[in-house]
Amino acid sequence: MALPQDPLWYKNAIIYQVHVRTFFDSSGDGIGDFRGLTQKLDYLQELGITALWLMPFFPSPLRDDGYDIADYRSVHPSYGTVDDFKKFLTSAHERGIRVVIEMVLNHTSDQHAWFQESRSSKDNPRRDWYVWSETDTRYRGARIIFLDTEMSNWAWDPISKSYYWHRFFNHQPDLNYDNAAVREEMWDIMKSWLEMGVDGFRLDAVPYLVEREGTSCENLPETHVIIKELRRKLDEQFPGRLLLAEANQWPADLRQYFGEGDEFHMAFHFPIMPRMFMGLKLEDRKPIIDILQQTPEIPEVCQWCLFLRNHDELTLEMVTDVERDYMYDVYARDKPMRLNMGIRRRLAPLLENDRRRIELMNGMLLSLPGTPIIYYGDEIGMGDNVFLGDRNGVRTPMQWDGGWNAGFSTADPESLYSPLILNPLYGYPAVNVQSQRRSEHSILAWMKRIIGVRKSTQVFGRGSIEFLHPANHRVLAYVRQLKSETALVVNNLSSSAQAVELDLKRYEGNILIEMFGKNIFPRVGKLPYLLTLGPYQFFWFRLRKI
Amino acid sequence: MWQLIVGELTRAMQELVQDFAHFLPRLLAMLVIAVLGWAFAYFLKIVVRGALRLAKFDKLSESAGANQLLTKAALPSSTELMARLVFWVVWMGFFLLGVEVLGVVGLQEYVSRFFLFLPRLLAGVFIVFFGLLAATFFYRAALLAAVNANLPSARVLAVSLRTIIVILAVSMAFEELGLADRTIIVAFAIAFGALMLGLAIAFGLGGQDLARRFLERRFLHDKQEQKQDEFSPL
Amino acid sequence: MLEACLAERSVLNDDFLRQLISVGEVDLLVGLPTFNNAKTLGPVVQAIRAGLLKHFPRERAVIINVDGGSRDSTPELVKAASITDLQLSSEVYTLRTLHSISTISGHGAATGPALHTIMAAAELLRAQACAVISPESINIDPAWLERLFRPVYRDHFDFVTPTYRRHKFDGLLLRNLLYPIMRALYAKRIREPYPSDFAFSGRFCNHFLEQDTFDHDESGSGTEISLVILAIAGSFRICQSFLGTKARAHRDSAELVPAMRHSVGPLFSSLDTNFPIWSANDGAQPVPTFGPESELTAESVRVNRKQLHQMFTSGVAELEPVLKSILSPQTLLEIQNIAKVVEDDFRYSHELWVKTVYEFAASYHKSVISRDHIIQAMAPLYRGKMYNFLVENRDASGEDVEANVEALCRTFERLKPSLLERWDGRK
Repeated sequence: MALPQDPLWYKNAIIYQVHVRTFFDSSGDGIGDFRGLTQKLDYLQELGITALWLMPFFPSPLRDDGYDIADYRSVHPSYGTVDDFKKFLTSAHERGIRVVIEMVLNHTSDQHAWFQESRSSKDNPRRDWYVWSETDTRYRGARIIFLDTEMSNWAWDPISKSYYWHRFFNHQPDLNYDNAAVREEMWDIMKSWLEMGVDGFRLDAVPYLVEREGTSCENLPETHVIIKELRRKLDEQFPGRLLLAEANQWPADLRQYFGEGDEFHMAFHFPIMPRMFMGLKLEDRKPIIDILQQTPEIPEVCQWCLFLRNHDELTLEMVTDVERDYMYDVYARDKPMRLNMGIRRRLAPLLENDRRRIELMNGMLLSLPGTPIIYYGDEIGMGDNVFLGDRNGVRTPMQWDGGWNAGFSTADPESLYSPLILNPLYGYPAVNVQSQRRSEHSILAWMKRIIGVRKSTQVFGRGSIEFLHPANHRVLAYVRQLKSETALVVNNLSSSAQAVELDLKRYEGNILIEMFGKNIFPRVGKLPYLLTLGPYQFFWFRLRKI
Repeated sequence: MWQLIVGELTRAMQELVQDFAHFLPRLLAMLVIAVLGWAFAYFLKIVVRGALRLAKFDKLSESAGANQLLTKAALPSSTELMARLVFWVVWMGFFLLGVEVLGVVGLQEYVSRFFLFLPRLLAGVFIVFFGLLAATFFYRAALLAAVNANLPSARVLAVSLRTIIVILAVSMAFEELGLADRTIIVAFAIAFGALMLGLAIAFGLGGQDLARRFLERRFLHDKQEQKQDEFSPL
Repeated sequence: MLEACLAERSVLNDDFLRQLISVGEVDLLVGLPTFNNAKTLGPVVQAIRAGLLKHFPRERAVIINVDGGSRDSTPELVKAASITDLQLSSEVYTLRTLHSISTISGHGAATGPALHTIMAAAELLRAQACAVISPESINIDPAWLERLFRPVYRDHFDFVTPTYRRHKFDGLLLRNLLYPIMRALYAKRIREPYPSDFAFSGRFCNHFLEQDTFDHDESGSGTEISLVILAIAGSFRICQSFLGTKARAHRDSAELVPAMRHSVGPLFSSLDTNFPIWSANDGAQPVPTFGPESELTAESVRVNRKQLHQMFTSGVAELEPVLKSILSPQTLLEIQNIAKVVEDDFRYSHELWVKTVYEFAASYHKSVISRDHIIQAMAPLYRGKMYNFLVENRDASGEDVEANVEALCRTFERLKPSLLERWDGRK
C-alpha cells in the first residue's frame, strides 16, 4: 500500500503515540524494540490508525525517559539498530502508516559528547554550544517547569566551575540557539532522518529555544525566526513532511507557532484537554466552549492536535487556580496521583473505567476540530501505576494477552523495563488485546469502529465548526461542515438522561442519518429539533437533503 | 193557607237540611284538612326551627343587623320568626285548600291569588334580608376603610352608605310585592337624586379643601416624603 | 372530576417548564419574586450572582425570577445575570454555567403565587437548598448568600430566617405584635417571623407543597409567615442568620393595613389549625442563631407621631360599634378611657395591649364579624400602641428598646391563659 500523496495528509490522520520500549520485546531482554514494533504493525493497521508518533529512541542515559539525548544520529541499543529502524519504517509505509519521530531541539543529555566537550574548558570550540554563566542570577523572568524536582533553571558545573542553563532537569542542559553552528547541526541531524524516510518531527519544548534578559524566555521572536528557517528548508527539500510543535501555552500564544503557514504544520492544543475532563465532571459544556471560543483561527494549511492523554502528566498549567483545585479534588484525591501541577493517570482510571465516559471522550476527541492522537494502551483501556516514579506509571508495558508478561516479552518478569499492571481491574489478565479481539463489544472493537467512521469522511479533519448553544448546558453540540458535507455532533456530558432542543433552522429540510448505524432520524422542520440522550451518550449525524 | 205555609216551611226546612247535609261533609273535610294542615305546619315549624338553629341562622341575621331591628320592634328572634312564618304560611295554605273544598265560588279566586302571591312574598323577604346583610357589611367596610384612611366623619360616611343600601333593598322588596310600587320608585328616585345632588353641592363647595388634600396626598408623595422618614411595619 | 382536573392550572407554564428542563438538577436555587422593581433590582441581582460565584463556585445554581407582570424591564435585568457560553464578552469568570431565568405569574404584587412557583421549580429541580431574596433588599451584599445557604446546605437546617441591623423604629409591627405572639404561643424566639429574605431545604419545600395552603389562599398574601409557622408546626430544624442592614421601606410597603392583612391575618388563622400545638406549649425556646439576634441603631429620625395619636383616638370613637363585637366590655372601656387622655400623658400599657391582641385573636377565631374587618379594626389600636412606643423610646438606645420588647414578650407569655379561656368560649 503506498502512502496517500496528499500534502495535507496530517489533517485527516489518526495518530497513535507509542514508545518503542513499551510496545513489544522481540529480543527477550525485557525492553521493547523496533523489531517487536515492526511485528505489531498489523495490529496497528487493523486498529485503523494512519500515523505513528514515536517517543525518543536515541541513545540516552534514560533519566528522562529518552528526552535526554546523548546521540541524535543513532538508536539506543536496547531498541535495536538504525537498520532495524529503517526496516520498521519501510514496513510501516507499506501499511499506509506514516512515522513521526521526536526531535528534542532545546536540550541534550549531559552525557552527550557536545556537553562533555563544552564543559571541559571555557576555551573549547563547543563551549558556546550551551548557555553558560558565571552567576545564577540571569534570566530571572523564566519560570521553573519541573517544580517538584528543580529549584532553579541554573545548575552548577563543578568541572568548568560555572553555571549552565536548563529549563528541564538539571541533567538536560539547554543548547544555545544563538549559535549558528548549533542551528546548522540540528538541521543536519533532522535531514539525515528525513532522508531515511521519516514523515515528520515532533519538536519538543520549542518555546524555550532562546533566552533573553528581562523576558520569560518563552515564545521569543527569535525562536520563531529559527523555526521559520527550519520550515523553509523542510519545504524546499522534503515537501509533505510534518513539523509538530510541543508548546504548552495558551491558544493565543500558540497561534504564533503557525506563523502564516510558514512555521509549524501542527501544534498540540494543550488547554482544551483538561477542560474536556472538567466539562465531564461538571456536567457542563462551558469550560470546553470557553476555551474553543478563545482559540484563534489558524492558517488553512495548519491543524491543531487533540489528545486525551499522553506520556506526561495531565497538565493543569493552563487552567485557573479554581479550576486546578477542582480538578485535583475530583480526579486526583490521592497525593501520589499528582505531579508537577498535573495528574499522572491514564484515561481509563481517570474515568473510573466507565465505558460510557471512555466512549464519550473518544467521540469528542475524534469529532472536534483537529487531528486526534491516541495514546498507546488507551484503545484497550489500560490502567496505570501511580506508585512508579515520575510519570512512569503511564508508561507500563503494552498488554497483549493474559499470559507470560502480558505477551509483551519472554524475559523474566523481574527484568522488564517496568513492572506490569497487576490489579484485578486493570491488570493484564483482565485488560489485554487478545481477549478484546474476541469480543465484538470490547473497547478495542468499538475504537476500531469509531476510527472507521471518522475515516469515512473528511469533514471531521478538515471541516469548519459552528457551536450550537442549546439552553441545556449539559449538552455540547456542534456542526462540522466541509463544502457540501455537513455533520452534526451532539454529546451528553451528564450522567443522567437529557432532553435537548437544537436550533437547526439553517438546516431545515435535511434528514439526519446517524453515522454508526446509518439509520435515518426525523427531518429538520421549523420547530427546534428535540433529541433525547442517555447518560454520556453522543450522536454523530450526517445531514442530507434529498 | 195555613197548610200551604206549613208545607212551604217544611219544604224549606227539608231543603235546608238537605243543603246542610250536602254541605256538612265538605265542612267536615275542610275542618279535617285544616286540622291536618295545622299539625303538618307545626311539625314543619319545628323542623325549620331546628334546621335554622343548626345553620346558625341567628348568627347570620345578627351580622345582617336584622336582629337589632327585630329587638327594637319587640319581635322574637329571626329563627323563631322564620319558623313562625313557615307555620302560618303552610297552615294558611292548607286552610285555603280546605276553603276550596267547601266549593264557595268566590273564595276560590282569592285562594289562587294567595298562592300566586306567596313566591313574591318570599322573594320580598329575601331581598330585604340580604339587603340588610349587605348594608351592614358595607357599612362596616366603609367605616373601617375611612377610619384607616384618616378621613373625617368616617361614621357619617358609613351610615350614609348603609342607609342608601337599606332604602334600595326595601324599595326593591316593595316593587317585588307590587305594593305601591310606583309611589315607592318615584319617592326613592327623588330621595336618591336629592341626596346625590346635596352631596355634590356639599362636596363641591364645602369639600374643596378635603378634595385638595386628598389629591395632594395621592399624587404629590415626594414633597411629603422629604418631611419625614418612612418606616415599614414589617 | 373533569371540572376538578380542568380547574387545576399548573403554576409552571410551558415556556418556563422548558427553561427548567434546560437548567436540570441544581444544588442551590435563588428565588426572586418581583413586580415593577427595575429601580432597585440591578444591584440585588449582581450581588446574588457575585455571592454564588464567590461562596459556591462549584455548586450547580440557578436564579429564578417570578414576576407579577411588570411593565418596566424587571425580568430582563434578571435574565442578563446568566453566565453561559453565549456571553463571549463576559468579564466574570465561572467554572460552570449559571442560569438566570424568568417567568411571569401575572399576580401583581402578591408574593404568594410567586413563592408557589419558586417552590414548584425547586421541587422539580431537586434543589437541596433554596433562598428567597426580596428585590427591595438594596443593602444586600454577596455574603448574604453564604449566610442564608450555609445553614441549610452544609449544616442541614430546614429553615433559615434572617436577623438584621435595623433602626429601632423600623419593623414595629414585628416587634410589638408578631414576634411576641409567636414567642408566646409557638414557643420560638424568631425575630423576623415575616421574613423577606429567607432560606429553606428541599425537604421542607416538598413538605410545604403537599399542604394545600396555596389552594386556599387565592389572594396570595401572608405566605411568608405561613412558611415560618409551618416550619414550627412540622418540627423542622429552624435557625436564624444575621445578614446585615435591612433596607428601609419602599413607600408602598409602609402601608399598615395591607401589612397587617398579610401578617396578622395568617397568624391568627394559623391558631385555628395549630391549636393542639400552641395550646400545649410552655416557655419559649431560643432558636440557633448565626451572628447577633438583633442589632438596633438609634440615629435620630423624624416621625409623625401626632398623626398616630389622632388616628388612634378617632378610630376608637368611630369604630365603637365594631369594637363592641370584638372586645370585651372591660377592655373596650379601658381603651376608651386612655383615648380620652391628652397626648402628653397618653400611655398604652403592655398589659392592655396584650389583652387587646388576645381578644382580637379570640374574636378572629370565632369569626364574630368578617375576619378581614377584624384585622382592619385592629389597625387604629395598633397605631395607639405604636405612638406609645415612639414616645417612650424617643431617646432610648438599642439596648433599652430590646429591654422594652423583652418586657412586652413576658407579658404576652404571662397572659396566655386568658387567650385559652377566651378560645373555648368560657369567657
